[in-house]
Parts: sequence; C-alpha cells; structure tokens
Amino acid sequence: MAKSSRENGPRAPAAGGSLSGTRESLAQGPDTATTDELSSLGSDSEANGFAERRIDKFGFIVGSQGAEGALEEVPLEVLRQRESKWLDMLNNWDKWMAKKHKKIRLRCQKGIPPSLRGRAWQYLSGGKVKLQQNPGKFDELDMSPGDPKWLDVIERDLHRQFPFHEMFVSRGGHGQQDLFRVLKAYTLYRPEEGYCQAQAPIAAVLLMHMPAEQAFWCLVQICEKYLPGYYSEKLEAIQLDGEILFSLLQKVSPVAHKHLSRQKIDPLLYMTEWFMCAFARTLPWSSVLRVWDMFFCEGVKIIFRVGLVLLKHALGSPEKLKACQGQYETIEQLRSLSPKIMQEAFLVQEVVELPVTERQIEREHLIQLRRWQETRGELECRSPPRLHGAKAILDAEPGPRPALQPSPSIRLPPDAPLPSSKAKPPKQVQKEQQKRTKASGQLEKSPGLNQTMGVTAAGDACLPQDVPPEDPISYHPVPQDSAPQDLAHHCSQESLTSQESEDTYL
Amino acid sequence: MGNGTEEDYNFVFKVVLIGESGVGKTNLLSRFTRNEFSHDSRTTIGVEFSTRTVLLGTAAVKAQIWDTAGLERYRAITSAYYRGAVGALLVFDLTKHQTYTVVERWLKELYDHAEATIVVMLVGNKSDLSQAREVPTEEARMFAENNGLLFLETSALDSTNVELAFETVLKEIFAKVSKQRQNSTRTNAIALGSAQAGQEPGPGEKRACCINL
Repeated sequence: MAKSSRENGPRAPAAGGSLSGTRESLAQGPDTATTDELSSLGSDSEANGFAERRIDKFGFIVGSQGAEGALEEVPLEVLRQRESKWLDMLNNWDKWMAKKHKKIRLRCQKGIPPSLRGRAWQYLSGGKVKLQQNPGKFDELDMSPGDPKWLDVIERDLHRQFPFHEMFVSRGGHGQQDLFRVLKAYTLYRPEEGYCQAQAPIAAVLLMHMPAEQAFWCLVQICEKYLPGYYSEKLEAIQLDGEILFSLLQKVSPVAHKHLSRQKIDPLLYMTEWFMCAFARTLPWSSVLRVWDMFFCEGVKIIFRVGLVLLKHALGSPEKLKACQGQYETIEQLRSLSPKIMQEAFLVQEVVELPVTERQIEREHLIQLRRWQETRGELECRSPPRLHGAKAILDAEPGPRPALQPSPSIRLPPDAPLPSSKAKPPKQVQKEQQKRTKASGQLEKSPGLNQTMGVTAAGDACLPQDVPPEDPISYHPVPQDSAPQDLAHHCSQESLTSQESEDTYL
Repeated sequence: MGNGTEEDYNFVFKVVLIGESGVGKTNLLSRFTRNEFSHDSRTTIGVEFSTRTVLLGTAAVKAQIWDTAGLERYRAITSAYYRGAVGALLVFDLTKHQTYTVVERWLKELYDHAEATIVVMLVGNKSDLSQAREVPTEEARMFAENNGLLFLETSALDSTNVELAFETVLKEIFAKVSKQRQNSTRTNAIALGSAQAGQEPGPGEKRACCINL
C-alpha cells in the first residue's frame, strides 16, 4: 500500500449537524440563518466566543489579512488636517476636479483619511453621481426577484468573502445580506453580464466602507468604467491585460521578464486574482486601501503598476531567482510575496514612482489586441474603452447635471447661528468671493468644460437633501455683498475653505 | 515496480481539480495536502495549487495538485491550467444534482484541453451529508464505468476517501508512466536512473514524469 509521508491523522469530524449554509436561500429572508458551530474559524458570533477574538482596526480577526504591514501610523494632528482638506474638497468637488485635480491626485496618493474614505471613493468613482441620476433604482432592483441561476451561485459565495472580517463572518448576517443584495442587483442591472465571482470581493471591500446602495453604484462604475470587460463572459479583457502586463514588464524588469518567458508561465497563472480583485486578496489590508485610493483616482494604471512592482521585486534579481528553478516554484514565489515588498509605505512609493503611463498601457493594449485578432480572431465581447480614473469619468459624463450635493452628517436648521469662532472676517470672505467669481469666469471661458462647472461658484451652499436631482442647474451668482452668515452652511461645521496655500505638505 | 527497477525516481505529476463552483475542490486540495478543511475557504479566483509527496512502492511521487474557479465563465482562461496535466479529479457535489448533470460537459472540456491519456477520476464529494444526497452512488458509478473513469465518493470534511482518491489516481498515472518507460527501455536500451536527466521519450510516447507544464 502506498505510504503517505505525512503522519498526522485526519482532523476529527466536527460536531454538529449538516452544513446547510449553502442550501439556504437568502432570497427568502434572513431568518433561516444558521449559526455554524463547526470547526472553521469563520464560524459564527458570540455563541462561539467570537467576542473573545481580537479584531484589528480594519475589522479583521487579528492574525488574518488585516493589520500586518501597517507600520506607519499617521499622527493625529496630520490626520485631522487631512480630514478638513478632504471635507473641503468633497464640498466643492466639481471645482476641485476642474481646477485642482493634481492636488486631489496627490492627496489620494497620500492616503484618504479613513473617516472619509467611503465618501471619497463615491465621489472619485462617480458612484455618487450615478446614484443621484438613478433615484430609487437600487431599491427597485433590490426588490425584484433575481435570476435563480445567478442567485444560486451568489449564495454559494457569500460566506467565502473575507470570512475573517467581522462584517462577513456571520452566515446570514448583515454583511452577507448586503453582499447578496448588491451582487443580485448587478445581475438585474446588467443581465447580459450576470455574475462573476471576482465581483464578490470587490463588492465586499466597498461594503466595508459604505451602505449597500452606494456600494452598488461604485461597483457599477468599477465594472463599467474602470475595468470594463473584466467580469464579462469570456474574460477577454483580463487575458489582454495579462499580456499587456507581461509586455510592460520587459522594460520594468528585464530579469523577471526573461525568467517568466523561459519558464513559459502564462500571466493568467499569477495576475488573474491580482487584477480581478484589485489586489484585495493579495496585499495586507492597509496596502489594499492605499492602492484603492489611488486606483479610484487614477484608474487601472495603478493596478498595472502594483503588479509590475511585485513582479520586479519578487523575481527581479538573480538571488531571488535561485529559489525559482521551475515553473511551480516561480508561481509559488509569486503567491507568497515577501511582506516587505507589500508593505504600505514601500509599495506606495514604488507605485507612485514607476514611470508607466496610461498612454503606454493604451499603446500596448492596441498591440495585444492586434495580436489577438491575428491569432484568435475577433473579440467576442467588445467592451467600451476604459476610463483612466476620476477625471476621465467625470469628463465623460453627459451634461448637464446638477452639482454634487454634499451629504452632510451634521445639519443645522436654516436659522441656526454659526459659532462665532468660525465666522470669517468680511474682508476674507470678500476675497474668496472674488476668487470664486474669477474662477468661475475662467471656467466658463475654457472650452470643453461642460455646464456643470457653472454651479461651482456657489458650491459652498448646501441645498437640502430632498431637492430632486432632476432639477436643472440653476446658476447661483455669488452675492457680493452678503454677510458671512448668509452663506450659512447647513453643512458640517468642520468644513473649512482652503485658507492655506496650495502648496502645503499635507 | 518490477524486478530490477531502479528505486527513488523522483516524479512530479500534475493533477487538476475540475468541477462546478462550490463542490469542494479547494477543500479536497487542502485536505489532501495540508490536512485542513474550512467551511469558509475563499472562492477560488485564478489558480491555486499545493503539493504533497507520496510513496508508491519505492518511488517518491510529488503530486502537484491544481485548483481553479469552477464557474462557467472561467473556462475561458483555463487552457494554461490544463497544460501538462496527467491526472484529473472531476468533482461533483452529491447533494446537488445539478453539479452532476454537467459532468459530461466538464469531461468534454477536459478532453479539449488535456492529453487524451490523462487519468480521470469522477469524485462525488460531501458524502458526510448523507441525508441530503441527490445523486445515487450506483448511477454515478455506472457513468464512470461507461466512460472509462475511476470513481469514488469522498468527504473533504471528515476525510473519507480523500487520500484514497488522490493515491488511486497517482498510482494509475504511475503505472502508465512506468509502462511507457519500460517500453522506452526496451526500444532504446537506455539505462535506468537517467530518466531525470532530460532523456528524450521514445517515438510517439509522451513523457509524464517531471513535467510541470
């Protein structure tokens, strides 16, 4: 008889009954949730002493994907200052995107403050606009019965996304429910696309930062604007990107490129999960968030850069290649990346500095597309061209549209006096008004900007939440003679307009 | 295996796990190679693999087990996955009849991409859920027999037959490989012990050992 080289016997079969998790239908409601008492670490809640497990600041059970790698903590003072800047940006988004996009990009590279990350992602991705343009749509999708064939697959995946994260650990819990709702809604929104398994981790990351409806629209943007075709039938887009990645590698790390060539390792063997999940399953969590911050701002080139950086540092030198004698060992090496190269500060620095541009990616895309057509014929699923980040997405939006309405969390009744310490001296306000008028004047002159820019002059004015977004844009001329109080914000009192210079370090 | 055979050849056999999403491929892999099982193992996206070395007779055989996403959509990107595979476990969930009815489609997919000589075992997984069975053992066994497939029912959860499944497949592969080598020895009079060193296979023969892809 064959003798196994491993001595340990099989794990004792778990106590408890049959696993019915995969057979539950969440479509019928959450009351059928079973608490899973079997051996897996992903088992349920307080009943099993889940409360005893330590959770890190990202929500992961300590020891799982979470906190390793987060060596740097942003000092509180810096964090607070970043938050005010971001609040200002979010409250004046259209203006910032039009005039100071480079600054937004820089701030995304520095990392979005955790307290504002969810909102910022919605603004950057255009998910917020989408939501405003489609009021009630998500609810409609949410309440519709889905296609059973998709629902079946989705249900099987709900407990398999980030099972070590507190949000998703409970079968039938709110996290898994919301995941179901978002994924189901997408299959109804785009029935020709249906469901692709890699959408689940993407949606899960979004849900960690925002409610289901918002997460849905961000998912839509990712699937249609940032990574079109990634999740479609035939998976052609990901195959093309694999070839593009490999091609770009030649300049970035000839050593790694040569090795992968010689070993005949198909890019799909290492980059599929990387790209389809935007590294959410690969990197330590703090790095995932930094990558996503940049990705939402600058688009897929960030994904390419991360891939190239990892390949370069994993396989880019003769010493590293010593351990990679064969195909298997090489792929193994790419699956157990050194924590050093995935660490937040190191990785972000490398990504920001890597000189790989959108243009290069697009050029390579054309080359690979041509090759594909020569060897495999036409693409079966032609996806729309991808948009390289927040600015491109915004510019591509058909105008006119109402300005983004901030969603303040603190709102004062209209007559509430502002705390006097925040009131600006009239002279300062005057200067700012002039600056704004000037800016809007310039904006109007420059070609190519759509009418949305016209509203930004009074972008500080917050309209009440229940103004229907279909209202046409009304241009608010800046009142030259109004006292500061008349510009009363119903907004968060934290919002400071940019009084500091543009060139602050922060 | 026979008289006078050299001992201690190192073989690497690539075995792929295929079948519908959710049938238990990933847990079969982890059970066999790491003796682990998880209810919440992550959805496989891309390719996973693990190895384990077993002794077959006197030969050390390294099984390189590959695992990938089962969802229909992913079949578009799996040709690299099949390349060089000498064995396959075609897995279905015996508590979900739908995963069994598509077995023929998977077989076709397999033969479209892999060598015709590939050793295939049909595996009915989740045998621990006996109350929920939807596929009768006999039915699956008959199908396997009619199609030249090995057959076993397993449970990655409680380990039933997992070792046996993999080892049976590996033994079959090894037997085929040994036979080829014996034929090759006869025709080419190559000394045993040099199989490792890049020897050319005999005319028309495929070399299964030490191949990755």
